[in-house]
Amino acid sequence: MRRNLDDRLPPLEQFVRRISGAPPSCARSLTLGAQPMPATAFMELALDQAKFALDNLEVPVGCVIVENGKVIASGSNRTNATRNATRHAEMEAIDVLLQEWQSIGLDQTLVAEKFAGCDLYVTCEPCIMCASALSILGIREVYFGCPNDKFGGCGSVMSLHESLLSDDLTGSQDTRSRGFKCTGGIMAEEAVALFRNFYEQGNPNAPKPHRPVRVDQQ
Amino acid sequence: MVWELTEVPGNPTPLQHSTVDVVAANIVPKVTNTLIRQLNQVCPLENLRHVKRVRRRVVCGENSELSIILCLSTGPDNCNEGFPEEVQKIVENYHLSPFIAKVASCSATSKEEWEEQCRLWPTSYHPPHDIDGVSGFKEEELPSIFHCMRTAMQLSQVGNTAIIVDPSSMQMISKATDQTHQRDTCLKGNKCAMVEADNANSFPEAIEDKADTLLPSSSRFCNGLDREVSCINPFGWMKQRCTEQKTLPSEGGFLWHPLWHAAVVAIENAAERDRMTFPASTSSTTQPKLNGDVDNCSDDEPAKRLKIVANDEEQSTHPAHSSDLPERNRPYLCTGFDIYLVWEPCTMCAMALVHQRFKRVFYAFPNPVTGALGSVYRLHGKKSLNHHYSVFRIKVPEAYLNGSTDCSEKGCSNSVSS
Ligand SMILES: [Zn+2]
Ligand SMILES: [Zn+2]
Repeated sequence: MRRNLDDRLPPLEQFVRRISGAPPSCARSLTLGAQPMPATAFMELALDQAKFALDNLEVPVGCVIVENGKVIASGSNRTNATRNATRHAEMEAIDVLLQEWQSIGLDQTLVAEKFAGCDLYVTCEPCIMCASALSILGIREVYFGCPNDKFGGCGSVMSLHESLLSDDLTGSQDTRSRGFKCTGGIMAEEAVALFRNFYEQGNPNAPKPHRPVRVDQQ
Repeated sequence: MVWELTEVPGNPTPLQHSTVDVVAANIVPKVTNTLIRQLNQVCPLENLRHVKRVRRRVVCGENSELSIILCLSTGPDNCNEGFPEEVQKIVENYHLSPFIAKVASCSATSKEEWEEQCRLWPTSYHPPHDIDGVSGFKEEELPSIFHCMRTAMQLSQVGNTAIIVDPSSMQMISKATDQTHQRDTCLKGNKCAMVEADNANSFPEAIEDKADTLLPSSSRFCNGLDREVSCINPFGWMKQRCTEQKTLPSEGGFLWHPLWHAAVVAIENAAERDRMTFPASTSSTTQPKLNGDVDNCSDDEPAKRLKIVANDEEQSTHPAHSSDLPERNRPYLCTGFDIYLVWEPCTMCAMALVHQRFKRVFYAFPNPVTGALGSVYRLHGKKSLNHHYSVFRIKVPEAYLNGSTDCSEKGCSNSVSS
């Protein structure tokens, strides 16, 4: 059974695909309106990504990365498809940007400058791994939906968004942990509802499960 | 000096911060069993299952003193009021004199911690991996553990190195080096490493021969800090190196990647091996490979429905057992596997190892700048995480670092084997 790929992609992906014949610099100018968009508008796009993950039997987490009021990348959790439990939505979106920026010849310094002007909207608080990664990249600001009680790295379990001046053991400023501004609770109910969908009824499009659905969630 | 293995406990927090007050009383031996039975009924210690109800202490050298926990204390000072009625009855019937005692509020995560707890009030201790002995490894495993670390160090020309090993078969699953900078050798090197890892049934002997040529200069390891190590200097990627050329990556690939610390790359290599070994259950959308190739063969196919058991919020799920045999042999992520890192991982890498469900983490050199497994943080002691691995530090003899070949290969464990 073959289906058109576009059916399975959320709107933003469809749009990016439609213009994918254009050079990357054009894809980067993707805009979603001339007016500055409120945080909830970007979060809705992140939620679309999370729904895309849910449709693919992935834990529903999604994100978009925004530069100058424009969405320049999106990602959804793909830990099952890749069998790599580190392929969180944030990592997927980050890789989209890195590939694009490298393909147009940006070097390390320029890529670092680009990340410093980017904000992330993600449906669930970044985990400890992703929060560390966002700090390493030097992202400007993070907006998230629901908190992540078990793994959250932006306040729940650890606070990696808060800059911490470690003892400068190497005699260089490079080793200082850099923080980023972080705001939670944006459309948290919607994000939680997707988790509930995933855990309680599973994917409605999936064939009837012939195996037990175990829920470890407390 | 010989090779040494030391467990890095997950929770060395001082005990005084993690105790609760209970009301206890001294009792005579003959009523002990009766009282335990009665109290377990009327006042079970629900959230203190690790705490033993009765403490036996030797006082004044010869007499032993028995004390029993009556109930949780309701306040700091009152040990005569506010008991449940049934407990009050027991106090009266047996003429007990209640007093306040402190017990550990959480079960111990290491033997060291357990011994400290027992000085307050006895608790029970279940080591995290008791199938493998008290501290997560068997004494006879030590030579191969040290061998794996030697292998990792030999591969560590620049930056950190990670190797993933299945301890049940001593098979190397994958290996990787830091790829946060563009290097002439790194992409090619890791590609070869993958091929080698796939055929590495005879690991670890396969690499042994190269030991002399591959051993890096001792100063790298002895200095204590190697700024070429991505985990130690995570912001170092931002600096353009003069030696690097501006080449465009092949489509879908990366020339360098700020987040490709050795552990992250090793995990992706292991996942790729999994996808290649058990392709039947692969789903459609594939990820560009780390070695720069684009894996786009199945990009336009609908996702084959994975057999999945919903697990937890951690963006990952368990594949359920399928009827065909190969699928059943398929590992779930890196469950049961060990990872060897020359340098202690940063928080990003340490959390990646939690996500991928490693069983044990071994590192040789601490990372005092960002180390997440003992030096700065103790991620493996965070109770909220859904998976916990054991962490070990391997102390490498100086003679080995100096290039001497005749240092002891047997090694020893100064861990909790006493
Ligand atoms: Zn994450
Ligand atoms: Zn790292």
